[in-house]
Amino acid sequence: METARHILTSFEDALDNLRKDVLMMASLSSRSLENARKGLFDRDEDWCNTVIADDEEIDALEIQVDGEGMEIMLRFHPFASDLRNVIAAMKTSVNLERASDQSVGIARRARKLIALPLMPVTSRIEPIFNLASSVFNDSIKSYADNDIELARTIKGRDKELDELNREFADSITEMMPQNPDHIRGFLELIFIARCLERIGDQAKNIAEDIIYAVSVKDIRHSHAAR
Amino acid sequence: MDPIASHSLDFFDSDLSVNSKTVARSLTNRILSGVCITLSLLTMVPLVSIIFLLLEKGLPLLGAGIFTELPPAAGMTGGGFGNAILGTLVMVGIGLAVSAPTGILSAIFINEYAPTSRLAQTVRLVAKLLTGIPSIICGVFAFAVVVMATGTFSAYAGGLALAVLMLPTILLTSEQALMGVQSAYREAAYGLGATRFQTIARVVLPDAFPAIMTGVMLAVARAAGETAPLIFTALFSQFWAKSLNEPTASLSVLIYNFSTVPFPHQIAMAWTASLVLVAFVTLANITAQTIFSRKN
Amino acid sequence: MQTSKEAPEKMTTDQSISPERPDFISVKDFNFFYGKKQALHAINMDIPERQVTALIGPSGCGKSTLLRNFNRMNELIDGVHHEGDIRILGKSIYDKGIEVISLRRSIGMVFQKSNPFPKSIYENVVFALRISGTSKKSELDECVERSLRGAALWNEVKDRLHESALGLSGGQMQRLCIARAIANRPKVLLMDEPCSALDPIATVKVEELIRELKQQFTIVIVTHNMQQATRCSDKTAFFYLGKLVEYADTQKIFSNPSEKQTEDYITGRFG
Repeated sequence: METARHILTSFEDALDNLRKDVLMMASLSSRSLENARKGLFDRDEDWCNTVIADDEEIDALEIQVDGEGMEIMLRFHPFASDLRNVIAAMKTSVNLERASDQSVGIARRARKLIALPLMPVTSRIEPIFNLASSVFNDSIKSYADNDIELARTIKGRDKELDELNREFADSITEMMPQNPDHIRGFLELIFIARCLERIGDQAKNIAEDIIYAVSVKDIRHSHAAR
Repeated sequence: MDPIASHSLDFFDSDLSVNSKTVARSLTNRILSGVCITLSLLTMVPLVSIIFLLLEKGLPLLGAGIFTELPPAAGMTGGGFGNAILGTLVMVGIGLAVSAPTGILSAIFINEYAPTSRLAQTVRLVAKLLTGIPSIICGVFAFAVVVMATGTFSAYAGGLALAVLMLPTILLTSEQALMGVQSAYREAAYGLGATRFQTIARVVLPDAFPAIMTGVMLAVARAAGETAPLIFTALFSQFWAKSLNEPTASLSVLIYNFSTVPFPHQIAMAWTASLVLVAFVTLANITAQTIFSRKN
Repeated sequence: MQTSKEAPEKMTTDQSISPERPDFISVKDFNFFYGKKQALHAINMDIPERQVTALIGPSGCGKSTLLRNFNRMNELIDGVHHEGDIRILGKSIYDKGIEVISLRRSIGMVFQKSNPFPKSIYENVVFALRISGTSKKSELDECVERSLRGAALWNEVKDRLHESALGLSGGQMQRLCIARAIANRPKVLLMDEPCSALDPIATVKVEELIRELKQQFTIVIVTHNMQQATRCSDKTAFFYLGKLVEYADTQKIFSNPSEKQTEDYITGRFG
């Protein structure tokens, strides 16, 4: 969308750095989610620990992005697309940090599952994981490419994710009376599914923010599906 | 010496230290200053000597009678030159009455109404040429126009000659005064809906007034001391003038007349008249410098 | 900030009587020339009543030129001519029946560098009244107090009304110029970069004053300072090379302009 560079190179550089930091956060978040998946399905405790450890870096980046955003507002008084982009960057960093927290939640619960005997029903959560990953990565891509067409698809898919999560929770709950000694494991699985659902929400928020930044259309809180 | 210190010392390298070159520079400066001061002091010498001379020679006869009595006959003592003082004042007054309005209003035209017009440029050029006209020519002009037409020497003729003398000075200094008024004031006045006349009368003229008055006073000071224009326009008179249409005495012509006769009393009178004239001119100049600039 | 306590009651009544016209000043296909050089190209805009409209753009874009056409001040320069029309309340300002002097008396103008007359504060404010023929002391006194209150300067100078205006600070002088401009109750107030010569505090005081003044006056302000435009104005017009590029609510211009040129200018990509 932007063609010419800003005359003030310090402004241009500050905006570039802000964007780079957000993209760094995004790739770290995305990687954490992948690592959590590996930890869960490969029953590998090391991957879970990595996710928990990496969260620190993502938290630090969120603080850094916040500070950079504030400084840009203070020094350069951005207008129009610049202003919207800075605000979108600051909001997106919050959403990424929360998504990363969800990945940490998944990792912790996965660790607990690893301590318990293997439950075949764990594999049923894979489609949810796939959808959540795909939705999250697409929201990041829509930020990176300023792609509002892609961003627009996120809302509907998040709804799908919510639906999947509800079904999964229901079916697991039904299994509980027949398998009382697996209840603890079932609860962990339900929790993990919840985390994935929340990651979908964060992705939706990121998509909405990018749509506003690019097209100034505020689609938040509207109940239209697509 | 450590590298940092030696690096800073490069700033204070040999070029900055006191040496033969700097001594020569300082000496040149001081010589030049000395020359300027000396020459400035020298310029004060003529003025100071004139004042001393006038006071020395003119004070003895200065008294109340000077202003009230008529010039004594040749060889007689006593008397004064009240008629000459009055004559100078009257003729300068007539000159002012003619040249001041003309000069100021012309300046208003060429600066406010049509500054770039051909007419304005011509007027400016003519005024500048007029300043160079010898004062005696002003007298010749007034002679031809007034004396020959009326058949008599008169204060009118003298006044006209002085008017021609004063006009270019008043016009040009008034123009400068008007140019000195910030154009921002005019713009503000026009923006408020003032007509050109209102702008000139209410904003421009009041602001330029001190400078215009200065110009007028300078013209007056010059005119009061002129002799050549009055010699064959007003001529001279030993008596109080009964009308403006007869030969009129003036200080400058009196000085001219009395200083060339062989009677010591008359010569002493001439000195006193010079003193009075210089006092008058100085007063006019001081007025111009102080009273009118204080308004600023 | 002191304001006239009496005025607001009066103004509310006025506002309920006369609804605000969106085309209080109307510029129609306006072209303006300095000799052969065209300074404004086909300008079309409607300036709404009792709001602040800001004209922005890089140097030489024509915004000051347009402003000075509203009270025909440009006609003081030789060799200018125009095509098209400017109308106030529907009536053309170039109408043969309109006297330029009267037009200027019903429009107030404040300049970039404050230019109070070298007279007393009192005389500065009543200048417009005096040239209109008013000389009754009671009327002049009332005008002085009303105008100085309106310009938020009364309390600072009420004890020295007859002292020279040149003894005021820069910010006070500019507020005096505003008082002088509103003394004759014009309908429109034109301001050409009124704060560019003022320090930040004086600037903010004048901006607060503008916010109060717009209850009574239609204000058009030329400004280089985009933050000032966002703080003060309701509508903003962006000019470039003598053309009106975009004209919309200030919010829209600065958060989401339609024209790329506008976006490039306000984000500092050119100009």
